[in-house]
Amino acid sequence: MGKLIDENGIRLDGRRWDEIRPITIEIGVIKNADGSAYIEFGKNKIIAAVYGPREAHPKHLALPDKAIVRCRYHMAPFSTEERKSPQPSRREIEISLVLRRAMESAIFLEEYPRSIIDVFVEVLQSDGGSRCASITAVSAALADSGISMRDLVVGCAVGKIDGQIVLDLSDYEDKEGEGDMPVAYMPNLDKIVLLQFDGIFSEEEFKKAIDLAILGNKKVYEILKKALIEKYFSMVDEK
Amino acid sequence: MVLVRTKVLPGDLLHDSYQGQPPPHTYKLGNKLFSLKVGLVEIEGKEVKLIPLAGPYIPRVNDFVIGKIIDFDAFSWDVDINSIYTAHLPAQDVFGRDFSPQTHSLTSQFKVGDILAAKIVSYDRTKDPVLTVRDHGLGKIINGEPVKLSPSKIPRLIGKKGSMAKIIESKTKTKLIIGQNGIIIVQGPSEGIVLAAKAIRLIEEKAHVPSLTNMINDLLTKESG
Amino acid sequence: MSIKKSPIIENLRKTQMIELLSKEKRLDGRSLIDFRPIIIKVGVIQKSNGSAEVSIGNTKVVAGVKVETGSPFPDTPDQGLLVVNAEFLPFSSALIEPGPPDEDAIEVSRVVDRGIRESQMIDLNALVIETGKLVYCVFVDISILNMDGNIFDAAFLSAVSALLTTTFERKTVKGDGNIEVQKCKLPTRCIPISISSITIGDSILIDPTEEEESVQDSRLTLTFNDEGYLCAGQKGGSMGISREQLFKIVELSKAKAEELRVLVKKVIENAQI
Repeated sequence: MGKLIDENGIRLDGRRWDEIRPITIEIGVIKNADGSAYIEFGKNKIIAAVYGPREAHPKHLALPDKAIVRCRYHMAPFSTEERKSPQPSRREIEISLVLRRAMESAIFLEEYPRSIIDVFVEVLQSDGGSRCASITAVSAALADSGISMRDLVVGCAVGKIDGQIVLDLSDYEDKEGEGDMPVAYMPNLDKIVLLQFDGIFSEEEFKKAIDLAILGNKKVYEILKKALIEKYFSMVDEK
Repeated sequence: MVLVRTKVLPGDLLHDSYQGQPPPHTYKLGNKLFSLKVGLVEIEGKEVKLIPLAGPYIPRVNDFVIGKIIDFDAFSWDVDINSIYTAHLPAQDVFGRDFSPQTHSLTSQFKVGDILAAKIVSYDRTKDPVLTVRDHGLGKIINGEPVKLSPSKIPRLIGKKGSMAKIIESKTKTKLIIGQNGIIIVQGPSEGIVLAAKAIRLIEEKAHVPSLTNMINDLLTKESG
Repeated sequence: MSIKKSPIIENLRKTQMIELLSKEKRLDGRSLIDFRPIIIKVGVIQKSNGSAEVSIGNTKVVAGVKVETGSPFPDTPDQGLLVVNAEFLPFSSALIEPGPPDEDAIEVSRVVDRGIRESQMIDLNALVIETGKLVYCVFVDISILNMDGNIFDAAFLSAVSALLTTTFERKTVKGDGNIEVQKCKLPTRCIPISISSITIGDSILIDPTEEEESVQDSRLTLTFNDEGYLCAGQKGGSMGISREQLFKIVELSKAKAEELRVLVKKVIENAQI
């Protein structure tokens, strides 16, 4: 047997191949923002907040027929094992870009012409799968702000460790394993909106990984739904 | 047909064969109708109505709004109406047809930071909203305190035929000027203002609790002694 | 991040604020010398050596401490390093624009840095591994999450609470050349507390909200050590302050600092580091 999965099929942190780490989501944590959410996903601790839609400054950024989305993914200097310089790294800039693209496919941009939607993500503590945790938090923050969205977006990674496809890699599994594949997904529309991967996957493994990622995303979706309902409907009597 | 009222989240399927244009806060994919918001949906036969629980104020012509002057140039004021877009109040609307930037000073009427009640005269997706103050009950507001409420919850504050607003006004001895854009001016004695603001905060938190009217009544009766 | 502009406060509210001040009251119902509710949570970031999240009313900040090794400055070969850095996160206010830290963030960093340094809270001489070559560097990073006035005191409280609960692995070279690793607390000597107030006309307001700061005449941040001595101070705002007002502020702030120190002590004791 390998070093990351034992003979009973148990991973180093006690999970089986198809289990995700514990997740908690809290909505509305930043008072000043139009929408916000805090997610703990394994050891990840991430705040996402949304301002807008608001007037685009500078004005030439604005589009006549739809809103534009700006995204900043940033890690606090104390979020990593070694102190991270406060300046944005190339990795942070790329994640900002893929998060933005994923959200653009969900937000009903045509409803807010000539405006800008600012999405800010701050990683207070990082762990494996921080971009997937971030996208879930961003989608929670957008729903909280009341910006029109075609669907919620959730994220969950899959990967390959000890030759096996497993769900939701931890930091250590990501570093020591053979492949990592972050996937973000719109569950009602059944569309993948973020996909990146590195590592070696056979065609069969790839298909298995995607199916497992979708399964994981559906689990995250249930948790996100619960958090939104908790926040908005905890007192509503349904008739 | 029975009225079905359910909570919905963005992406939830509302109807699997909906005919016609999608109602506000929903969209169609083929004949399927989906929600765009966190809200409550009422489905009665083929009628679908979605009441969002959050979201920005989208201006509509003839809406009564409360705004704040944030800037001005020689010909108009810029007014923050708590929306995506800044509204404009043309100087002509205030000074009349013979307005001339040489003879009239805009600051003689409205200064930055002033609050005004206005009506939206024009707005579409390509142009910012334009306001007027030339009607009864419009113009500068010189006393009271501004309080914010999510624009989607304004109907709850007003209540059926204004019932909720009336309860708050009579129990706190205040007057409420309610803008559709989520800004309310509370006028009256300062203890009354504090209490009315408390009631508005309660509506913000519990807007969709059916027993809200009773809760407001309890709060106001208890606190006003 | 840089602050683009100050909020435009409604003239109605301004008038009411001034009127209330003449009756020694504030818009949120507080007396002039009261703080808003303060919540301090320590140990919130497990990957840091020490951390604290502090809320003062709606103002919210989080500080994380990292202890790493590095070279000392040539002029202080026998001292460890202390680096304080503050950032206004772009979601902390609608008025913030992304960009490099501007003068406001730098002022917060420097005011917190001076308060900690001048109170001699940390025994930097005890952070030397090898004189002139290797010392411990204590990085205090402060992220401002939500802005509603009095960022200085929230940042200071979070930095101090994080430092007081910081633990790190101390390496000592023993006589036989072996390295011994020991988990220990930072060598601290006292609990410095900063108190900020503003003046509006003749009134002195402790712990101002953002709304109050937007009409301030002047601002003053004072830092006190355990004995109640002043150890750092910074005036802000663009108007002058009279000698009498200044003395009054020192008197009020000193008493407040004592109250806050009791609160911090309680939090640290309960944390049981």
